[in-house]
Amino acid sequence: MANFEPSIVAFVCNWCSYGGADSAGGQKLAYPANVRLVRVMCSGRIDPEHVVAAFREGADGVMVMGCHPGNCHYRNGNHKTLRRFRLFERMLFQFGIDKDRFMLEWVSAGEGQKFQEVTMAMTERVRNLGPLVISGSVAQEISHA
Amino acid sequence: MTEKTTLFLCRCGTNVADFVDLEALEAWAKTNAGVDHVYTHDFLCAPAGKEFIETTLKEQGSKRAVMAACSPKLHLKTFEDCATRVGLNPAQMSMANIREQCAWVTPDKTQATLKARSLIQAALNRSVLQVDLPSQHVECKTDMVVIGGGIAGIEAALQAAEAGRKVTIFEKEISLGGEMIKVEDLAPMSECAPCLLAPRLSAIRENPNITVVSGATVTDVLGFFGQFTVIARKKARFVTDACIGCEACFEPCPVDMQSEFHLGMGTHKAIYTLFPGSVPSAAAIDQEHCLHFQGNECQACIENCPFSAIDFAQKEEIVEVQCGAVIVAIGAEVYTPKDLPRMGLNGKSNVFTYAEFERLTCSNGPTQAKLQMRNGTVPQSIAVLHCAGSLCSDGLSYCSGVCCVNAIMAGEIIRKQIPEAVVYNIHDRIVFPGAEAEHFLQHQIQAGTRMIACKNLEQVKIAEQANGKINVTIPGQEPLCVDMVVLSTGFHLGDKAKQFASILNVELDPHGFFKSDHPILNSTGSVLDGIALAGSCLQPSHAVQSVTMAQAAVGRALSRLVPGRTIELETMISNINPDICAGCKMCISSCPYKAIRFDQEKKSSTINEAICRGCGTCAATCPSNAITARHFTNEQLLAEVKGVLHG
Repeated sequence: MANFEPSIVAFVCNWCSYGGADSAGGQKLAYPANVRLVRVMCSGRIDPEHVVAAFREGADGVMVMGCHPGNCHYRNGNHKTLRRFRLFERMLFQFGIDKDRFMLEWVSAGEGQKFQEVTMAMTERVRNLGPLVISGSVAQEISHA
Repeated sequence: MTEKTTLFLCRCGTNVADFVDLEALEAWAKTNAGVDHVYTHDFLCAPAGKEFIETTLKEQGSKRAVMAACSPKLHLKTFEDCATRVGLNPAQMSMANIREQCAWVTPDKTQATLKARSLIQAALNRSVLQVDLPSQHVECKTDMVVIGGGIAGIEAALQAAEAGRKVTIFEKEISLGGEMIKVEDLAPMSECAPCLLAPRLSAIRENPNITVVSGATVTDVLGFFGQFTVIARKKARFVTDACIGCEACFEPCPVDMQSEFHLGMGTHKAIYTLFPGSVPSAAAIDQEHCLHFQGNECQACIENCPFSAIDFAQKEEIVEVQCGAVIVAIGAEVYTPKDLPRMGLNGKSNVFTYAEFERLTCSNGPTQAKLQMRNGTVPQSIAVLHCAGSLCSDGLSYCSGVCCVNAIMAGEIIRKQIPEAVVYNIHDRIVFPGAEAEHFLQHQIQAGTRMIACKNLEQVKIAEQANGKINVTIPGQEPLCVDMVVLSTGFHLGDKAKQFASILNVELDPHGFFKSDHPILNSTGSVLDGIALAGSCLQPSHAVQSVTMAQAAVGRALSRLVPGRTIELETMISNINPDICAGCKMCISSCPYKAIRFDQEKKSSTINEAICRGCGTCAATCPSNAITARHFTNEQLLAEVKGVLHG
């Protein structure tokens, strides 16, 4: 397990969190190379199906990051994100996926350091859980999702 | 892949080249079936780099290009422009961020190279699924509507009219002027208010581009930036435009009623104007008090009107105006701490709010600017309490930022009339910024204002004595016994203003004022494009700030609503497939901009493309997958996920 490097897919909004990742870059704040970003305009665009798809495609952990509540570029898209994924977290175990494999975080465009911290924390958390294995009926079920 | 794709790798000097093995990447990409050509360049964003991109794309006949370089937030537009110049569309240009999100954050070169490969694969996967998003334009109306006829609204209307725009001002009172017309001395340096306001009112009256709709309540603002419809209910005035405000009817009218304009400290007749020279100049009849409307035969005003301007048959009207931008300048309300017994404010004693004090010193006020007590005598000692009902647990939690200035100005106003009067200012911290402020404060102290510092204003108690004098107990200080107390209160937005915010679909800040789109870059814009804000509805303001905000709000609207020019719409918007839409309406409640409505005929929801800003929240909400978020489709996102995981 010590050599296991988890793959993390992070869905990030264009205005805050993608900018936060760029800030981390600008400040040369290293974080695990297996954290890979997918940009959307607003975290409100992220459908739980996208997260499930990332797990299905082999991600060991998935993150959704958006603007801090109150700072959404689209007024309140991130409030929908919050509602949606609080509910989603409670459903994850039904797929046999530990809820700690998912993380919702708010990272502003200036928070390069926070971006580094949360991606490192998530990698550590998932490293401890080991590789994600989806089997049985769930594997069949989500292959259609 | 049928369309030719070219991959460009940017060394960015040493920024990428030192951390990512670009030669290995180039070798990998050449064997990658999806890419027809691979080139590595020192600086793709430099003039030589851009020329290289354009020449290469033309020579190779490439239909798609992927730039593995810096952040798309930095140079996507640069490279999209390159594509456009060689006849491609922006969707045929993509980027992989191998600098900020790879080279700079991955110290191990092997890992960085692998990560770069997966980021490039994701961009390539996505690239083939990207489709051209044609730009769309809408016609814009260049006229403006101003809601609120105080100094901010007046200034906004004059500025827009000066640019040749037609302006409609909706004002809830019977004439313009707002709070400023009730005041004689303007903060911060006691400037003459009527001297500034009267010429501006005349300018409004004489300007053919400006229409004033008074007695009006705006009930709806529909549409979007460039094309708004503002709907208002205009109360019947019962006096026609033939009235010039000669006042011949005032004397004969048998009804005296309490005047709100005088804050209940004076009366006017049932037919009245707020002050001579008002705009509009016509008088108005108060339906609740006029004898005619109580079933009596009274014709006093009709008999005495030289212009036959009285019309009891007038009805309420619905007024509808089309415009390109809306300026909201509805002001704020004075906070009256009547529920705080320690303030001694009961409407009978000689404890007054600063607003009432202003009315008592204003030439159009109930005493014609004579500062006097309730019994008509002149006060010899006056205490002014700072932060009255502000910064406390049982009043306003915030500092309004304007009341200290008012409180300090009170001494100046009092001494103009009563030079021998003793003035005490009971204060904690003094909020009075500006280079001249300290000078003004020192001048007031020299002129006689006695400053009494008190750390705990919440424990100051004001009570009327049997002889009518007012006792002020101040913790840690000698108590005062004065003729009059003035409470320098703050401001807040009333319930009606809050309801109005929900009509507009704009947000309020934590203190209940209208929220700016951005506190620094767009402080006079609301969160909805095209609805601008000015004056005290944004934050408690003196005239100087209100005028500046109005000028900023109008300036921004003028530079974006240009006659003959169209407004370019967002291209990355969402759309609904009516054949799949089940009509559940969940998207309607998810949209932050109210851009979606339900089409009763088609039984499906539909998105107004001029309002949609492209956040894609509706697409994620739709349980039927009937909504496509253009440029961020499910297929495109999945292709990227596969790229970052398997590339």
